[in-house]
Amino acid sequence: MTETLLAQAVGLIGDKAASQSAPEPNRIDLVVEPGRLLECVEPLARARWGYLSAITGLDHGAESGRLEVLYHFCNRAAVVTLRVTLPREKPVVPSVCALIPSATLFEREVMEMFGVVCDGTPDPRRLFLPDDWPDGVYPLRKDFVPPAAAAAPASDAQKGPQP
Amino acid sequence: MTGATKEKFVIPIGPQHPALKEPAHFEFSVDGETVTSASVRFGYVHRGLEKGAESRNWAQAMYLLERICGICSHAHSTAYALGVEKLAKVPAPPRAQAIRQVLLELERIHSHMLWVGVAAHEAGFETLFMYSWRDRETVMDILESFTGNRVNYSANVLGGVKYDLGEAQAGAIRQGLDYLEERLHYYMKIVTSDESFLRRTRGVGTMTAAQAEELGAIGPTARASGVARDLRVDAPYLLYEQFPVTIVLGTTGDLQTRFVVRIQELFESVRMIRNLIAHLPEGELTARFPRRIPEGETISRIEAPRGGLFYFIKSDGGENPARVKVRTPSLRNFMSVLVGSVGHQLADVPMILSGIDPCFSCNDRMTVVRRGRDGAISEGKDPLPRSRS
Repeated sequence: MTETLLAQAVGLIGDKAASQSAPEPNRIDLVVEPGRLLECVEPLARARWGYLSAITGLDHGAESGRLEVLYHFCNRAAVVTLRVTLPREKPVVPSVCALIPSATLFEREVMEMFGVVCDGTPDPRRLFLPDDWPDGVYPLRKDFVPPAAAAAPASDAQKGPQP
Repeated sequence: MTGATKEKFVIPIGPQHPALKEPAHFEFSVDGETVTSASVRFGYVHRGLEKGAESRNWAQAMYLLERICGICSHAHSTAYALGVEKLAKVPAPPRAQAIRQVLLELERIHSHMLWVGVAAHEAGFETLFMYSWRDRETVMDILESFTGNRVNYSANVLGGVKYDLGEAQAGAIRQGLDYLEERLHYYMKIVTSDESFLRRTRGVGTMTAAQAEELGAIGPTARASGVARDLRVDAPYLLYEQFPVTIVLGTTGDLQTRFVVRIQELFESVRMIRNLIAHLPEGELTARFPRRIPEGETISRIEAPRGGLFYFIKSDGGENPARVKVRTPSLRNFMSVLVGSVGHQLADVPMILSGIDPCFSCNDRMTVVRRGRDGAISEGKDPLPRSRS
């Protein structure tokens, strides 16, 4: 069942993905060029292959200079992940909202948390961060350290609220 | 978002808002009384838990993530534990898995009953609200006597559970379930026959199967529309293969069906818990668990009370998680509110909103940051979330 579903998804995407791997028995990861993301999402959305379960942002750190955006499609037990690698300096990925309108909340999240630009997303406003959050500060990037945590030694975090 | 008419009138609702006692900000554009578009802002109870998990060790992170939600805390810690155990290739012993599953289903009972009460309250049916919350205390008492806590049970450890389920506990659970089952019959009768209740729920917030598919709805919200998505059936974890649930599906996808579906699911949970405690596997409660987790990535999904809960966990071989991504069911289901409320009367919005059983603590988790007096950003001092119980 799961294998059939995975094979179906791989068949739908065909050679539009740069490479593929199977990290777990129920998963297929497909590495996709940012420019070809929509070409890969389109057949999945059109065939109603499962649903877009989540968009994960991954920061590989300043040294690597890479961010990764993961689009997880789930269909029963099968999970197909489209992995898009972006340069940390200018992470731009096309918005998938034209194909999957319900992705808007996920895109707003990955935009504000990682500074990824989802080009063409219908609503670029912040979803979780406060209005007065400074521009250009992306809290889930590895180099963001909350100032309070940076000032206090790590063990203090477990001592509970300060008086 | 633009309204359909030339003169758009936007009604802001929240952060203190009419359904549920949790903060979110909605903007509904209306034409007269009819909703023409909707948008949302979350974040009022953000706590920075995903970021926080990266600076804790693997075990600490579990207790942190358990606090994402006061309602489905065990679902969060179990999803995380299962993922980390997969990465470490150290599964929990069968008895521990069974106990986790008992707790998950008990949690589902208290969550669904909480929702029945809240939704009844939104419908103006205070008696049902009082009844269901009174009866919910039965399951809360079971949870408390079992784990010592009403919420945030801290029952999991990596590689197992802390608490054994002895004969005395099993007896108390059976007794509680007998009482609850009797009450569930009564609720079922009310939500299918009470005239005033039906008027507030029948045909309200209807989502067709096609819409549910398209919006990627999950959990009871999707199942009420006839979309068969239940990870307990689709991708069994723990002992759901040996002790299966029957998937409960509705057809009409309106609010009334969501009541019926959730109550039927409770019957299923009751049946499964009885079955589980009657056939509890013997053996150890914990497995030896390493401090460092081998490098790798995994996806762990379980069926929380509100729908499929999604965890993406990455290890770079160290003592801390490199990344924990949590996608809670409420976030996935919110689109059904934003889209589903269009065309409805503004007065129906609270009911439509509570129809998905939204959980804002779940959505809000990544970064709570307060501005200190000097205008600098400081991390929230209060590490504990407010629980919803």
